Amino acid sequence: MSDYAHLAGHRFPGGTYTLAPWLSWLWSDACKLEPDWGTAHQGLAYLVALRGAGVSIQDIFDLMDATADSGVVFGEFQVDYHGVLRPGATYKCEAEVVDVERKSGRRAGVFDKFTFQVKVREQGSEDVTVVCTNSWIFPRAEGE
Amino acid sequence: MTAADGLHAGRRVTPFSIESVDPARIKTVAAILQDPTPMHLDPAANRARGMGGALSTQGALNMTWFVETAVRFAGGVDRLVSFKVRFLANVFAGERFECTGTITAIDGDAARAELELVATADGRPVLGGTAVIKTG
Repeated sequence: MSDYAHLAGHRFPGGTYTLAPWLSWLWSDACKLEPDWGTAHQGLAYLVALRGAGVSIQDIFDLMDATADSGVVFGEFQVDYHGVLRPGATYKCEAEVVDVERKSGRRAGVFDKFTFQVKVREQGSEDVTVVCTNSWIFPRAEGE
Repeated sequence: MTAADGLHAGRRVTPFSIESVDPARIKTVAAILQDPTPMHLDPAANRARGMGGALSTQGALNMTWFVETAVRFAGGVDRLVSFKVRFLANVFAGERFECTGTITAIDGDAARAELELVATADGRPVLGGTAVIKTG
């Protein structure tokens, strides 16, 4: 059992995030895709969810007692789309930790699988635009 | 997309590829994400971890390419219903990234198709997962 299992149910501050048209454009350009001022790449769901959840990557590291040098990597990521992300739109996000599970693998060694979910709604709407469920892998030393 | 477009279980998904992952783009993505992880910024950090001297891409970047594969095949951003991806290994600057797959199921009533996708970097599996797209 993970020492961090108690984090299940932990709610992040949540908040709102406006997907700036310049950032939407730059994301597609940085990813070597075809930037479009009027259309946001659906891969931006991750960024909208993370920023709108009121939590930074460093915040998650702090919650799990990890640092940028800890070798933390993505595990799985799932997005369910109920609408399309729009440049210039403001999104309201609610986020919580779903589970923290201690696991071990032959290649990976001992690690904590940290899973959190963010529900994203366009501000002023009750309808969910996207639901992002994301797991991160936190390597742990034996006995840690 | 319909059966008239040759949509059937077993049909291959059109591959999406990046011929050589550009380290400058990895750094731009790190800035956008405000991601402090040294493996995306400093080759020396990866050397110190025994991962060679090339920058490693972010999961979000790899995921965007994975999503792009499904979106292009589906015919637009509004035709992607969902995706689920597992991160199997790092992708490094200089490698050739390619994502492809097959249609594994068609639901004619719901006008949906399920894709199984796999991405490689220089032939090495790096991502695996599924996507559901609209067909009608």
